[in-house]
Amino acid sequence: MELEELKSIWKNSEPLFQPKGETEIANMLKGKSISIVEKLKKNVWFELIFTIVVSIGLLVYALLLTSGAAKWLSISFILMCLAYTIVYVKKLIFLNRFNPANENIRANLVSLIEKVSSYLKFYKRSYTILYPVYFCLGLLFAGIERGADAFFENLMKPRTMLLLTALAGLFFFLSTKAANWYLKKLYGNHLEKLKSLLSDIHG
Amino acid sequence: MVIEEEKKFISLINEHQGLIHKVCIMYENDPDVRNDLFQEIVLQLWKSFSSFRGEAKITTWMYRIALNTAISGFRKQTRHVKTEDLKELHMNISDAWAEDREEDIQRLHFAIRQLSEIERAMIMMALEEVPYEEIAETIGITQNNVRVRMNRIREKLKKLMSN
Repeated sequence: MELEELKSIWKNSEPLFQPKGETEIANMLKGKSISIVEKLKKNVWFELIFTIVVSIGLLVYALLLTSGAAKWLSISFILMCLAYTIVYVKKLIFLNRFNPANENIRANLVSLIEKVSSYLKFYKRSYTILYPVYFCLGLLFAGIERGADAFFENLMKPRTMLLLTALAGLFFFLSTKAANWYLKKLYGNHLEKLKSLLSDIHG
Repeated sequence: MVIEEEKKFISLINEHQGLIHKVCIMYENDPDVRNDLFQEIVLQLWKSFSSFRGEAKITTWMYRIALNTAISGFRKQTRHVKTEDLKELHMNISDAWAEDREEDIQRLHFAIRQLSEIERAMIMMALEEVPYEEIAETIGITQNNVRVRMNRIREKLKKLMSN
């Protein structure tokens, strides 16, 4: 079947769609976008607000505490939240400027894959690096509070070592599981779909 | 100024809404999801409207944004079209479409829905008489590549339509 023949069938098949009126189109402009960039923005906003609320809560808590491991741990956590706040604000500025739909389909897919991948990488790195770091920081502050000798003496006990290893394993397992569940819930298989579309273009 | 811009945009969409409807029909079976996709395309066009300087044809610009939105959109996974969907499509269009070519039309739509999303974009533009140069520009591949791919798509359609 030649292309011309297909074109003639296509022309006869002008689908009967319900035309939209000008008012309906005008109302559409006030609607909310469901694009992946909007979804990314929404998630970043949610995380930014969550980080700020946690920081304020921790600040209040830290101010009520007398000097000790919990206080220093809270302060270090607030500092980390501050760093995350800066990252989130930078991300939002970047996403607001991001308009890949103007590009051709291939460039748009490349751009989206890069953005979603870097977003997912950021999370995975955060979860795999930050949790062990915080676990160690917790131990360090506990050590400082108890005094090095008493801390190491306690740490050398097989029961404590076993308990800490089990706790670290559980902590890591749960956080990784939670991160993977969250990311899957947010983006599902969308990244895979984008990659397969790009490989289809490369054909 | 903004109101003027909005009016201009709405009249443009009104004039070319057939193009958006066709993209939506190519990519969505479900009427509600199709409606959402229509709105999303309009929103993306509006977002890019201020940066459109008329260097490309208005329809080329619209195809690019509409197809980008439909292809990379964050929607429910499009299910493969089944015979029941075909019947549904047939029911919707049978009143308006020429009786004698109805079967060919049905088979063409059914066959197009079996193609990959990129192939669908290419064949749709080709059937709409968009020149290969513009198809290449919209997809982001060379004109030679478009020619090769179009031959393959035509073969696929031929097979699908004869089954």
